[in-house]
Amino acid sequence: MNKNRVSEEERARALKPTKKPEVIQRQRLPVRYHVEDYDVADRPRRFLEAFAVILRHSNYRFALEHFIRMSAKCSRCSVQCQVYLASGDLKDIPCYRSELLLGVYRRHFTMGGMLKGRVLGDSGLTDEMIEEIAESFWNCTACRRCSMECPAGIDHGLITHLGRYILSEIGIAPRALVVSVREQLEGKTGNTSAIPVPALLDTLEFLQDDMRETKGVEIKFPLDVEGCDYVFFPAVSDYLMEADTLMGIAAVFAATGDSWTTGTGYFDGINYGLFYSDRMLERIVKKVHAEAARLKGKNILIGECGHASRSAKYFVPTYCGGERALPVINIMEYTLQVLREGRLKLDPNIVTEKVAYHDPCNIARQGWIIDQPREILKAFCKNYIEMEPHGENNICCGGGGGTVSIDEIRPYRTTIAGKVKAEQIRASGCNYLVAPCANCKKQLRELVEDQKIDCEVVGLHDLIYKAIKFDKKQQKK
Amino acid sequence: MQTLLELAQGPLFRLTFAIMALGLLRILILDIWGAVEAYRKAGDKNIPWGQAFRKSLAWLFPVGKAFGSRPVYSLFSILFHIGLILVPLFLFAHVELWKSGIGLGWVTLPKDWADYLTLSTIIFGLALFIGRVAFRASSFLSRKQDIIWPLALIVPFITGYICANTGIAPAGYQFFMLIHILSAELIFALLPFTKIAHCVLMPLSQFVATLAWRFPPDTDEPVAISLNKKGVPV
Ligand code: HEM
Ligand code: SF4
Ligand code: SF4
Repeated sequence: MNKNRVSEEERARALKPTKKPEVIQRQRLPVRYHVEDYDVADRPRRFLEAFAVILRHSNYRFALEHFIRMSAKCSRCSVQCQVYLASGDLKDIPCYRSELLLGVYRRHFTMGGMLKGRVLGDSGLTDEMIEEIAESFWNCTACRRCSMECPAGIDHGLITHLGRYILSEIGIAPRALVVSVREQLEGKTGNTSAIPVPALLDTLEFLQDDMRETKGVEIKFPLDVEGCDYVFFPAVSDYLMEADTLMGIAAVFAATGDSWTTGTGYFDGINYGLFYSDRMLERIVKKVHAEAARLKGKNILIGECGHASRSAKYFVPTYCGGERALPVINIMEYTLQVLREGRLKLDPNIVTEKVAYHDPCNIARQGWIIDQPREILKAFCKNYIEMEPHGENNICCGGGGGTVSIDEIRPYRTTIAGKVKAEQIRASGCNYLVAPCANCKKQLRELVEDQKIDCEVVGLHDLIYKAIKFDKKQQKK
Repeated sequence: MQTLLELAQGPLFRLTFAIMALGLLRILILDIWGAVEAYRKAGDKNIPWGQAFRKSLAWLFPVGKAFGSRPVYSLFSILFHIGLILVPLFLFAHVELWKSGIGLGWVTLPKDWADYLTLSTIIFGLALFIGRVAFRASSFLSRKQDIIWPLALIVPFITGYICANTGIAPAGYQFFMLIHILSAELIFALLPFTKIAHCVLMPLSQFVATLAWRFPPDTDEPVAISLNKKGVPV
């Protein structure tokens, strides 16, 4: 009936436990992601306490009130969710997932709920419910596709975000994310990939040599230059995994001659706070802004990364002074602008293969970056094709919301969460799948490998790097 | 029977209507107040009002939505709503009652239109009920009220239709009229406290969803202090 529904066998593979029984018992958490040991005593009380404190210092309450009054249980969202479409598990229906937390809110934080609880003698939140939330809220990729179809305006991405924030305050959060954030905020290297500055310099040196050889042009990664138009923050993992993307970006700047720089004080765009904690979100956003301000830059430029772009675009103004904060742009906005101005020349005869574009949820869902990359690609890729659905209503890669960084749940991501995407890619028959996001790239590569789809996942600037043309003057330099 | 009818038409009507009006007003004010507060506290006040407004219109006049997810359900729901909203407000007999009661009248529906809309509301109300029970995801999600509402709402439509269109004997007429009025009054009284509150909150949904992502600044410290985590490593 539904071509996306996985078989029982695939389900079993995807949901296979990843932890030893004694760990599950010790941590009292039958979830597949690893968690650092935490205080398991008295979880319901501490959960409610954290919930209350967060409600007091946030804007969530009015939205929760609206959601509990409005929830229509119409199940429109069920046909939107790539997780439910693949798993077929009723507990993966977005409205069910959200109700787990909305129910706690209704029971413990509204008059009616507290009264009813007292009358019915229902003691409310239990350990089992916390375990179910801990499981369910990390099965969701926070892609927010379901919220597009909710007449009540219920934003399950927001509820997932809030639920994970509360969980993290009682010590339940994926170890992979916590360890990265710890290094970023408190470690020696100050970034999620733990790259020390000397290693960064080596990498950049190496890339510059490579570009000189292949392009015959002197292309630089300027470091610590004050007063530039753009201070650059890629997902720091790009320095390890996405050399072509970075070289493409550097090549664009070499072609235009605009001023840009990377700060050695802080050079990581990644913000896992967006996935599990507003407190971390705030601290990381402030680091980005502080570095750009230290270098007296005019704009914060985020590389090819969806969540890095969204956390900077929407939360730099929030945490760093509203209109006084530095403007944030995504690299694709810049590249489109210089392409339109005629300052970037791309050879239309280089990339002749079938090219499709995957919209990263974090930049497409709210309608921010949808047409820009398409205009760039169509300017030099003869054989551009579109996948359906796309744009605002795109389908998540299956690794959103930070789940891609949790390696132990790869079978879940590539079997269930990414299933609908996999079928979409397969049907498109593309040779290159352009995914301008560090998270999407990692997930999609694992997805096409595990699902045996024959296509190459690349960044947008990887293709630009192939096709960019320099004029004679620049080449002699 | 006569006294019961008079009770239902007089004091009970005024009471339940007041509960509905004040109840809806209350949640509307609370909802708007919450949104205004959220806006006031938000660190980023650059809100895409236009986008939220367009999305709201798309839900209030859901022509486009009908071709999106769950098209059959959407179509049923729209046809159900048209009669549900128009008939009670613009039925000639209802407007006459308002005229004699408060001296205020307004446009009315032609009789045959009112009949068609009543029938379509009954039919699609039943269809929604069947869909709710039969569609796997819907029936799983449904609370009691989700299952009962489509049925409860068509009771006044069925009884009203019987009274208006069958040359029924006076005793029967009075009986059905009583059910008609009482069921409508029950609906009035429950409406603000259930999901039917959406009849006033619906236009705000997209604004709420937009504003909800606008956080207040500088909350790391107060949250950390309240949870005794100030200075505690990540
Ligand atoms: C004033 C404007 C109103 C709007 C814009 C509106 C909109 C909606 C929407 C969007 C839904 C969700 C189902 C769907 O997606 O189609 C819904 C469901 C529903 N509405 Fe309304 N509504 C309105 C007024 C009312 C009123 C006045 C009533 C009853 C007195 C009502 C009764 C219902 C019921 C019973 C459902 C649930 C249907 C089901 O899924 O079984 N609505 N409405
Ligand atoms: S679309 Fe919204 S109201 Fe409808 S079932 Fe999903 S979350 Fe609930
Ligand atoms: S946010 Fe995405 S993954 Fe989560 S429930 Fe909604 S559609 Fe499913």
